[in-house]
Amino acid sequence: MAIDDREAYVVAARRSPVGKAPRGVFRHTRPDDLLAHVIQAVLADQPDLDPAQVEDVIVGCAMPEGEQGMNVARIAALLAGLPDAVPGVTINRFCASGLETVARAADQIRLGEADVLIAGGTESMSLIPFMGSRPAFNPRIFDDADVAIAYGMGMTAERVAERWQVSREDQDAFALESHRRALGAQEAGHFADEIAPFDVVEQRPDLEAGQVVASRRRVDADEGPRADTSAERLAKLRPVFAARGSVTPGNSSQMSDGAGAVLLASGAAVKRYNLQPLLRFAGYAVAGVAPEIMGIGPVAAVPRALQRTGLAAEDVDWVELNEAFAAQSLAVMRDLGLDAQRVNPLGGAIALGHPLGATGAIRTATLAHGLRRTRGRWGMVTMCVGTGMGAAGLFERTD
Amino acid sequence: MIDPGTSIQRAAVLGAGVMGAQIAAHLGNAGIPVDLFELPAEGADSRAPARDAIDRLHKLRPGPLARPDVTRAIQPATYDLDLDRLAACDLVVEAVAERMDVKQALYRQIAPALGAATLFVSNTSGLPVGRLAEALPRTLRSRFCGVHFFNPPRYMHLVELIAHPQTDGNALHRLEGFLTTTLGKGVLHARDTPGFIGNRIGVFALCAVMRHAERLDLPFDLVDALTGPGIARPKSATFRTADVVGLDTFSHVVTHLHDTLTDDPWRDCFRIPDWLQGLLDTGNLGQKTGSGVYRKGKGGIEVLDPASGDYRPAEDRVSDGVRAALAKSDLSAKYDALAELDDPQAELIRASQRDLFHYCAYHLAQIAPSARELDLALRWGFAWERGAFETWQLLGWAPTAERLERAIEAGETLASAPLPEWVRERWREGVHGPRGSWAPDVGSWLPRSSHPVYQRQRFPARLVGEPEPRTPTLWQNDGVRLWDAGDDIAVLGFRTPMHAVNDAVLEGILRAIEVAERECRALVVWQANAPFCVGADLKAVRRARDGGNYAAIESLVGGFQEATMALRHCRIPTVGAPTGLALGGGLEILLHCDIRVAAMETYCGLVEAGVGLIPAGGGCANLARRAVEWSPDGDPWPWIQHYFEEIAYARVAGSASDARARFWLQGGDRVVMNADEVLHAARSAGLALAETGYRSRMRNQPVRVAGAPGIATLEGKLVNLHAGGFISDHDYTIGRCLAEALCGGRVEAGSEVDDEWLLRLEREGFMALARTEETGARIAHMLETGKPLRN
Repeated sequence: MAIDDREAYVVAARRSPVGKAPRGVFRHTRPDDLLAHVIQAVLADQPDLDPAQVEDVIVGCAMPEGEQGMNVARIAALLAGLPDAVPGVTINRFCASGLETVARAADQIRLGEADVLIAGGTESMSLIPFMGSRPAFNPRIFDDADVAIAYGMGMTAERVAERWQVSREDQDAFALESHRRALGAQEAGHFADEIAPFDVVEQRPDLEAGQVVASRRRVDADEGPRADTSAERLAKLRPVFAARGSVTPGNSSQMSDGAGAVLLASGAAVKRYNLQPLLRFAGYAVAGVAPEIMGIGPVAAVPRALQRTGLAAEDVDWVELNEAFAAQSLAVMRDLGLDAQRVNPLGGAIALGHPLGATGAIRTATLAHGLRRTRGRWGMVTMCVGTGMGAAGLFERTD
Repeated sequence: MIDPGTSIQRAAVLGAGVMGAQIAAHLGNAGIPVDLFELPAEGADSRAPARDAIDRLHKLRPGPLARPDVTRAIQPATYDLDLDRLAACDLVVEAVAERMDVKQALYRQIAPALGAATLFVSNTSGLPVGRLAEALPRTLRSRFCGVHFFNPPRYMHLVELIAHPQTDGNALHRLEGFLTTTLGKGVLHARDTPGFIGNRIGVFALCAVMRHAERLDLPFDLVDALTGPGIARPKSATFRTADVVGLDTFSHVVTHLHDTLTDDPWRDCFRIPDWLQGLLDTGNLGQKTGSGVYRKGKGGIEVLDPASGDYRPAEDRVSDGVRAALAKSDLSAKYDALAELDDPQAELIRASQRDLFHYCAYHLAQIAPSARELDLALRWGFAWERGAFETWQLLGWAPTAERLERAIEAGETLASAPLPEWVRERWREGVHGPRGSWAPDVGSWLPRSSHPVYQRQRFPARLVGEPEPRTPTLWQNDGVRLWDAGDDIAVLGFRTPMHAVNDAVLEGILRAIEVAERECRALVVWQANAPFCVGADLKAVRRARDGGNYAAIESLVGGFQEATMALRHCRIPTVGAPTGLALGGGLEILLHCDIRVAAMETYCGLVEAGVGLIPAGGGCANLARRAVEWSPDGDPWPWIQHYFEEIAYARVAGSASDARARFWLQGGDRVVMNADEVLHAARSAGLALAETGYRSRMRNQPVRVAGAPGIATLEGKLVNLHAGGFISDHDYTIGRCLAEALCGGRVEAGSEVDDEWLLRLEREGFMALARTEETGARIAHMLETGKPLRN
């Protein structure tokens, strides 16, 4: 495929393994360390590129406070060993943050304002809880129709399940399939190209010796997929968000820790530095829906993105649809007429986990390597977003 | 002298069955590290059986753990790997299967591993302690005795202490002190006879009722209706008690008594009836298997019909005459009325009571040091309100004895053994009196124990006939009594049913505080009987509400706040000393004392939401204030969030140590295991405060509040619970009122307010809720059913 100087290309996309939160492999691992690690990984994938050429590091994070506070993009860039001259910015569109960074970076490149950028995302749900350490709602939301701003995401999934009539059985079956695909993909080694294994180093007290003992453990696989899950076990779980609901911990995405990075370059830079592009960035759209049915967000965003790029849903060979909840995933797939076989071929967030602001970058990496392996052409990353939004990004394979 | 309570620092329990594991749990409750031994499992993890037994403690009901993390004190152990741990234990409790050969074999195995000063005891329920001792080396025998716990050991007060001839007095002394003060039990010395005291008499009482029931052809449910609270026994009465104990365990004890009591004239009573054998054969062992004499049917409780072998709905078919007789509060009048009825139901009560008297009198000299142990064993081990001799004494000793003697002569009793001489002594008015309880084997009165541990019990369980302790009244009204407990310590107690708080109590608190400030050095709030206090008098609130008299409700709330503020600012130290329930207003009273000394079995919580209200006796204001005071950086939020949940869910702490985990008790507060020691400990705490620079709290100190942002965050939680259908509209309203009261109203975060501001907020919230229909319905439902209504 011909490389266009003014287009934006994904030239490397890597991610950390995804750990379970709050008690998984990364429970003590800092999100800035994970982020620095994947930044190094994408740069290592293009050894001919001088890191000093990176013009900005754009990072998504949904709860940017504490260990992922200040400006985690800039901090991680420095930790990754990038020169002082490389800046960093943290942006937040909740669960779409990681995808948003890819779109922002691509747009700057397409505008001609930059040639080489790193996008990405990081989130530790072990260290920073969902909604942050101290949620503080505007008292005004309780007075009128905005009360759903305070809804937990599970509550919105219940609303979607109710309104789109997604049964408990369908949700559980979808969840089971997510695990089945994820386990199959792990078995087949399909994640090997995208995952940058991470060495977890933990300092623990050895009480008998009176010494600090460092333990080192290499993590190279996602922690979420469960071989021991079954339809019966899923059916036994109780709804947790509504007394008579259908959304359970088993058919919801897992809370997770993880990071992803995407190296983007203009066509001119691809030629200049002899880079090997994986994807061409084709377009991106976001759209809002009522906060209480936030899970349906992709139904508003996807047609907009398709229309801008002149594609139809059936043109897309590979869809990474973030499985915030089985309920909203099924509602979205039905409304958009998506082919279940093309959606999350390697499983989704119910099995693989959903580290909020990192997910967009992580799934972009999955898409890039998946399309390359399967020789598909068009791919999409889409997700619903808290407080009622959807986001969708389209890509074309170029390798 | 070493305090016996601290002389045991580490313990082991051998045998992780239901009793062993629960004894280990109770040692853990008392803060004693325990090794729990069980036979090893095959395979790599040989401690698995012991570990599983520890895990099961979390699921047992009633809960044996004062707090879930008590299990951290209990280490799983096996005889093949861990015997060396025994050397470090001050106390080893054996609780393996009730078989002489099993126990003796174990003794031979572990004896060499025991420490040189280790006390070794068996929780046998009836095997001869002297014979068990024979398996021990001579040097160990002096440190061995029987220590018989009753099930469930955390809750049953009774522990029987059984010496054998070589048991050392010093060892018994240490054990009695430890069991009493550290484990909080009621220790009774029993002779080494089959079933000791509790099971011998208690099981006989059950068997006697069963015998007469069979003779009179009365169904099980009717018998239980006749032999429960109406005759001062627990609600589980006769057959239900057997179900709860487990029909296999019950049968085991009965058979054991039958086999060993070869000389007992009543031996024939200890036999397994056919219906019971049938249930045993089919595995229907009572509560633990879901069915026994009773079972839960679709429409309610069902009872076995022994004739058909089927179950039918249980019912209460007590005849009108017997019902009227049992309703009489005067005991003599009750039994006189029963005596006049020609009714098999009355005959059941008369006959089984008569045989019980007969049995107790005949055997007392052999099995117990005095009548005290026999009566207390029935109270503490079988939850009877009164012991057998106490009832006899209340009915009039001599006439009852005469009637009994005539019945024996007439062949109406289950055995024809003659009454012992001492029963018929002309001068006798009873077996309990000012000089102690009767000890027939020595023919004199036996005073209460002089063991120093009992000096901590200022009001030990008093038997009929024993003199009431002197408690000189300092001041009293209809609601409260203030009395002098010596050393210038005043004790304030309530005089209302369940110690509920009404206008008289509130008025009384204010006046009593004035008197105490004038005449005493410290004030202890303590009740002679549990519960400590169940909160505001809901009946009064309901009456006022029904009459539309909201001013009366507001005045009750205002009075409550005045009373708690008076406690808080009292010039002398105040000590709250609860046992049992301390709910709603009861806990608010405790929160306003300087310090709390609680019995372990204290169950507290601010449960107002259950009746559609919020705490308004100063409770919310108190918590808003402590939220800032306890915060190192002046940020009240973490505490506000914590207390909001406790109150919104109306949670009740399952013990005093659970109350500590929920921050109802604080660092300086004390927990004592034995409820009978609470007053002593509270007096000491009050004196200590008085002696160590006590100053009362300053009034009207500013309080920084969480304000509107805090309310919004709490409301965020409510919104989700409400949208998810977990809470009702009214729950939401209550939650919002609570949020406003705890956060100090809709003001900027960090605003400084004062006591009056906070009190007004909780009062307004309470009144707004009190005016709603839903709250009215909740109050009515609670008063009528004793359960909260979710509306």
